Amino acid sequence: MQTEMLQRPDFGILKVIFETPGETILCESGAMVSRSTELKMKTSMRGGILAAAKRKLLGGESIFQNTFTSTAPGQEIYIAASPEGDIESMTLAAGEEFYLQSGAYLASDSSVTLDTKFGGFKGFFGPGMFLVKMVGPGTFWFNSYGALHPVDVNGVFTCDNDHVVGFSPGLDYNVRAFGGMKGLFFSGEALVCEFRGQGRLYAQTRRGPNLAAFLHPFRPVKQSNND
Amino acid sequence: MEIEVKYRPAHSLGVVRLGAGESITAEAGAMVTMNDQVQASTAARAGGKGGLLKSLKRSFLTGESFFTNKFTGTGAGGEVTLAASLCGDMAVHDLVSGEELMIQSTSYVASDSSIDLDTQWQGFKAFFSGESFFFLKCAGQGQVAMSAFGGMEVVELDGDMIVDTGHLVAFTSGINYRTTKPGGSWLQAFFSGEGIVLHVSGKGKLYLQTRNPSEYGSLVGTKLPPREG
Amino acid sequence: MQVQIDHQPSFAWLKVQLDPGEVIQAEAGAMVTMTPGLPMSTRLNSGRGGIVRKFMAFFVALVRKFIGGETFFVNRFGGQSGGEVVLAPALSGDISQITMTPATPPIIIQTGAYLASTGDIDTKLRWGGLRGLFGGEGLFFLECSGNGELFINSYGGIIKVQCNGSYIVDTGHIVAFDADLNFKIKTPGGGMLGFLGSGEGLVMEFRGQGTIYMQSRNVSALVGWVSPMLPM
Repeated sequence: MQTEMLQRPDFGILKVIFETPGETILCESGAMVSRSTELKMKTSMRGGILAAAKRKLLGGESIFQNTFTSTAPGQEIYIAASPEGDIESMTLAAGEEFYLQSGAYLASDSSVTLDTKFGGFKGFFGPGMFLVKMVGPGTFWFNSYGALHPVDVNGVFTCDNDHVVGFSPGLDYNVRAFGGMKGLFFSGEALVCEFRGQGRLYAQTRRGPNLAAFLHPFRPVKQSNND
Repeated sequence: MEIEVKYRPAHSLGVVRLGAGESITAEAGAMVTMNDQVQASTAARAGGKGGLLKSLKRSFLTGESFFTNKFTGTGAGGEVTLAASLCGDMAVHDLVSGEELMIQSTSYVASDSSIDLDTQWQGFKAFFSGESFFFLKCAGQGQVAMSAFGGMEVVELDGDMIVDTGHLVAFTSGINYRTTKPGGSWLQAFFSGEGIVLHVSGKGKLYLQTRNPSEYGSLVGTKLPPREG
Repeated sequence: MQVQIDHQPSFAWLKVQLDPGEVIQAEAGAMVTMTPGLPMSTRLNSGRGGIVRKFMAFFVALVRKFIGGETFFVNRFGGQSGGEVVLAPALSGDISQITMTPATPPIIIQTGAYLASTGDIDTKLRWGGLRGLFGGEGLFFLECSGNGELFINSYGGIIKVQCNGSYIVDTGHIVAFDADLNFKIKTPGGGMLGFLGSGEGLVMEFRGQGTIYMQSRNVSALVGWVSPMLPM
């Protein structure tokens, strides 16, 4: 299949053109923009029921994923993430890994695996933010809120927690409070992630909680039942 | 100190390079990344003149106070990156002494620490939406980084113009504004969707943003689950 | 009249220079800047037609004004004196100009996609069907035809596709399409689990030959994404 990433970094969207029948692409549920009518579509729960339920309960992304399979050459599908932002692809060799903030996963081919049972994150990444481990071989696509800002870390590097999208396993990380901002800013403590070592970090230039805080006053007010 | 703006216009990131001893003051919460040659100070409430701490209401409706962080370079290659809350553009204004820049408070991102930030209340309330608009006054010499919701349009004004209030980012001294209604009647002001507008006049630089945060907030906000009153 | 679309493709705005006597009509709330003294009048966007259409449009407009969302009030800029007016939509994204003539087929647009129009363009409110209700995408479409320039906005960038037989588009991603196309509002597929769990809203299955304008972002998806992060 042929893939093309369009409208980067502002409104990244993935276009897939299938070349032969039987080709497959998996994507985050809700991510389909449009498709050829004849594509076969299947919905399944991602990562098994327990892991999925845990993620959903803690307010993460959807527990479902869609699998689209071609039935003839020339069929197409457009896939896009919910927030305004960038997309990028990554191809991993067999056994090669990459840690991704779970909300950043957009789509993948049938050979790469998404390890959701990987629980290994230290510190608190914020509501509903888990790390998932992508394991090769294969290609996957990830998205960000805002533009993707890649950094080649060599030593010590600090990134605001909610701005972390993904990073390579060579990096050690530690989450701590950012001095002096206790209880001030929007939803509370500002947390930063301190990375040590050598590897690649993808940061995003916007953070979801800021948008949520901005929109909060515009929400309709609950009507109380006893007036 | 150098400020480079990347990923314009939608997802702008201000990349600030600091030499040893150079400082930039930024709105609290603006930091995205920081390398190990930068020291961050604790957040301070931006004060007004005369030693009295006057807190500037940063957010229209929540009335949060205006806080800043100071980032100082500790080596030759300090780098800190800054971003605004909403999607949009970023511009850097080179302030020269004698000139003043009035910035709508939510558009302020950062400025050279030597620049004087007057957070004294100055602004007005919009008629129908009840929003308040506050301005920050910057004076001194150095760079000021401002964000736009949407794209940033720079107008060399020499004359006058009607501007929808939510689209105003900043203007230099030499430009004045007064509030007015767009058409003939207040009823029209309501139905036209414009509410109060600004009549801007004078000579100087006018910074506008191509999107209006409250219009965006209302459009999306009403579709969100209700909140506790 | 001179028009210019700047700040494309992400935060496009429409700059219009009007000569005396020229008029442009725009969605309420779209004005960014204008020449002081430029005449502005407000009215219902009910298109041509009689009292029933006007009544329906007024009722819907009032409801929408109070529950939020696009209204059908429009402002008309221009008159005896000329001047400049700049218009912008509420969401991030692009603006497209479509030239309509009596020879070009009518185009159906999402009500939120209407930004402005010139000349003599008729806009008919069309009911999207009850199933549109469950999709949360809004019940109405606007069918535009006539003579003039139509300016539509998108949330995100615009992608034009040609439907050659059949094509499926998530309802939230539709900006506009040729009125010649047939469409059905459906669940996305993948069975019952597909509907409940797929995360997709409803989809439109188009049949026939024609152009479809899609947008790369979707307000319902944004709402779904941001809601878990909202404070109580």
